[in-house]
Amino acid sequence: MLDGIRILDLSEEPGFLAGKILGDLGADVVKLEPPGGDRFGRRGPYLGEIADPERSLRWLALNTSKRGVTLALGTPRGRELFGQLAARADVVLETAAPGAMEALGVGWEALRAERPRLIWCSLTPFGRTGPYAGFRAHDLVLVAMGGNAALTGDPDRAPVRCTLPTAYYAAGPDAAAGIAMALYARERSGRGQLVDVSMQECQLATLVTAPGSYSLNPQLRGRTGARLGGTREIWRAKDGDVTFGLRGGAARIPSLIATVEWMTEEGMAPAWMREMDWKSYNHNLLSAEEIARLEAAFSAFFATRTRRELFEQALVRRIMLAPCNDAREILEQPQLRSRELFTMLEYPELGARIEHPDFFAKASRDRIGIRRRAPRVGEHNAEVFGELGIGADALRELASQGAI
Amino acid sequence: MSGTAGIFAGLKILELGAGAAGPVATRYFADQGATVVRVESGVRPDFLRLLHFRPGDPHGLNGGPMFVLMNPNKLSVSVNLSTPEGISVVERLVRWADVVSENFSPRAMAKWGLSYQRLRELRPDLVMVSSCLFGQTGPQRMYPGFGGQGSAIAGFNHLAGWPDREAIGPAGTITDSLSPRYVALLIAAALFQRERTGEGQFIDVSQIETGVYSLSEAIVRASARGEVMTRRGNHAEDAAPHAIYPCAGADRWIAIAVFSDEEWRALCAALAAPALAADPRFASLAGRLAHEEDLDAAIAAATRAHEPYALMTRLQAAGVEAGVVQTCADLLQDPQLAHRGHFVRLRHRHLGELSFEHYGIRFSDSPRRMETPGPDLGEHNLRVLGSVGYGEEEIRSLVAAGVLA
Repeated sequence: MLDGIRILDLSEEPGFLAGKILGDLGADVVKLEPPGGDRFGRRGPYLGEIADPERSLRWLALNTSKRGVTLALGTPRGRELFGQLAARADVVLETAAPGAMEALGVGWEALRAERPRLIWCSLTPFGRTGPYAGFRAHDLVLVAMGGNAALTGDPDRAPVRCTLPTAYYAAGPDAAAGIAMALYARERSGRGQLVDVSMQECQLATLVTAPGSYSLNPQLRGRTGARLGGTREIWRAKDGDVTFGLRGGAARIPSLIATVEWMTEEGMAPAWMREMDWKSYNHNLLSAEEIARLEAAFSAFFATRTRRELFEQALVRRIMLAPCNDAREILEQPQLRSRELFTMLEYPELGARIEHPDFFAKASRDRIGIRRRAPRVGEHNAEVFGELGIGADALRELASQGAI
Repeated sequence: MSGTAGIFAGLKILELGAGAAGPVATRYFADQGATVVRVESGVRPDFLRLLHFRPGDPHGLNGGPMFVLMNPNKLSVSVNLSTPEGISVVERLVRWADVVSENFSPRAMAKWGLSYQRLRELRPDLVMVSSCLFGQTGPQRMYPGFGGQGSAIAGFNHLAGWPDREAIGPAGTITDSLSPRYVALLIAAALFQRERTGEGQFIDVSQIETGVYSLSEAIVRASARGEVMTRRGNHAEDAAPHAIYPCAGADRWIAIAVFSDEEWRALCAALAAPALAADPRFASLAGRLAHEEDLDAAIAAATRAHEPYALMTRLQAAGVEAGVVQTCADLLQDPQLAHRGHFVRLRHRHLGELSFEHYGIRFSDSPRRMETPGPDLGEHNLRVLGSVGYGEEEIRSLVAAGVLA
């Protein structure tokens, strides 16, 4: 979909996903790293447990469909090369602290004056301007400041985050969407523009309107652990956890009826449960006692079955119940397999083959999906700088100057 | 903002579906000037209109705050899709539309004769996105889940919470907020492609797959080294302290993340904790990771008496990553979000004034808008059907016949 679009990706870890998405959608994404490679972005765990930046699994997972070059923006020659690359680019994607690129003389304003068609996406913790613009933050601080942590966790413990950085996973597609929108706008206006993405602000959408509801009815919802809106959402099966909800209006009723029918067949539905008028069920009208009674009956039943047994019947009986999968289970999930979600990438120099989730969407016109594995450090220096007319001798000189 | 119109001024989007995952995606376009028409029905109402519904609610289907908050800047037409006349109304709207976005279960659109193959005959350059839970194909495509099930299948629940307790998942059933971001991206990219080629296309999005793709790191680690990542509270592999610590006040907390030894020394100095700085167990990252329990207890003892915002400001000034665990009340007063104009107060005719939200993207040359709250069911029947050629008399008879219902 984005074939022919050139993107210069200067981002550190928070922006890896945004650049990957654009590459997976067909753009020519050139990833810039400092000479020697992005040390933090290429940290462990490593393939084969060998501490080598080329073996960083985080890097390999999140930098597919990019070509890779090294460039020292701190050197005058490096900045000159950046200017030459930007002159041929449609988009610059960067995650530098606000003002840092400007301080080097390679900021948005400076480049825009020369290249009005250039789109510049700045992905920062809090946005480019404002009272917190200078604050530093990785995922944990972002999920705290963006409101998700306050609602995640158990009431008797500290708020808690996801073990992987969901703040970047929210902001990545938003940044990519902002870039696609700016490309669309440029087709009409002929001009590029600045796309200023705040990762804190991207977090607020995970609250699905909770702040707005609070503005109407100022009652703070706390952390409710495995519960959601007063009723249980996560349940213990025989071998792990499943999700199953008691809320959600009429759309949930057939699933509840099907569950009670199954429990009846198994002799595990108490009489009061079988006799309930499920067709008029409304979770908003349940008393605390009624909720407790329902939850006890469902809990007792789910505890007698494995997650697989429960999900198999959920599929047959159309019950809204699902296992809390781990990564190995996801790799074996039949529906995902049947849609060929996973793609095997070859890493011959590492002697490895690794399965990656491919770009999932299926489009009728354009081929979407991973184009190439993540680049090695400076893998495409000769190719990319060659496109600028820089030959092998000049490249060697640039390397000896520490510019690449 | 120097421009005068949003990026998508003049663009027309037809939205069919319910809940969060579909309707949030079209918000990106509505806020940037597109005309977004929701096709919905009182016969089978959007479950968000029912989520907080109690019999006797004075505003019926039009008083659900979640629906109202999630659908600003949109128009609503009420069409009963179980009538042939209702289907022909939708067909006429498809001829008018640039984009159709729907998130029904896979068979629904085809059942109504509204498959992409059919709609493309009406509008050859149509961009259409279908985004149900599990996608349009495959043996489990008819599985009937909500976002809570999608997040669990995609792997988020297993990764969030405490190792000694059940999986909990990040609040807000994360695939409900992830998949709209990808749907918006794909609509924008397909529209860009249409500008260049004149051709539209159909895109099949599985909400669960957006989640799995996001968790590429977990999948790659499992495939490459057989690792099964699991929840570990707030701890990280590459930073310590890396947790959420108590502050003064009821249920007040601060997140602190220290990646380098330099940041560690700065934290000790800012907390005025020379004993911590001198403790040899904590001098290196490896040492801090090895003694994480003692480390957390010592930091908690040092943060407990502090007002959270003052401590955040002090730590950030010292170069330490720190942020208050903000509640909804805090977010509404957050000066940074205020600077970005995140919240906009609008008056809703039934609910009164409430705070609507923009997404996290700002364009230097394209102004966003926040003009009208989520619409009443069928509020724009006259206006929208009028604009595609229905006369007033005709519209009235469609209402009387139960087609516009």
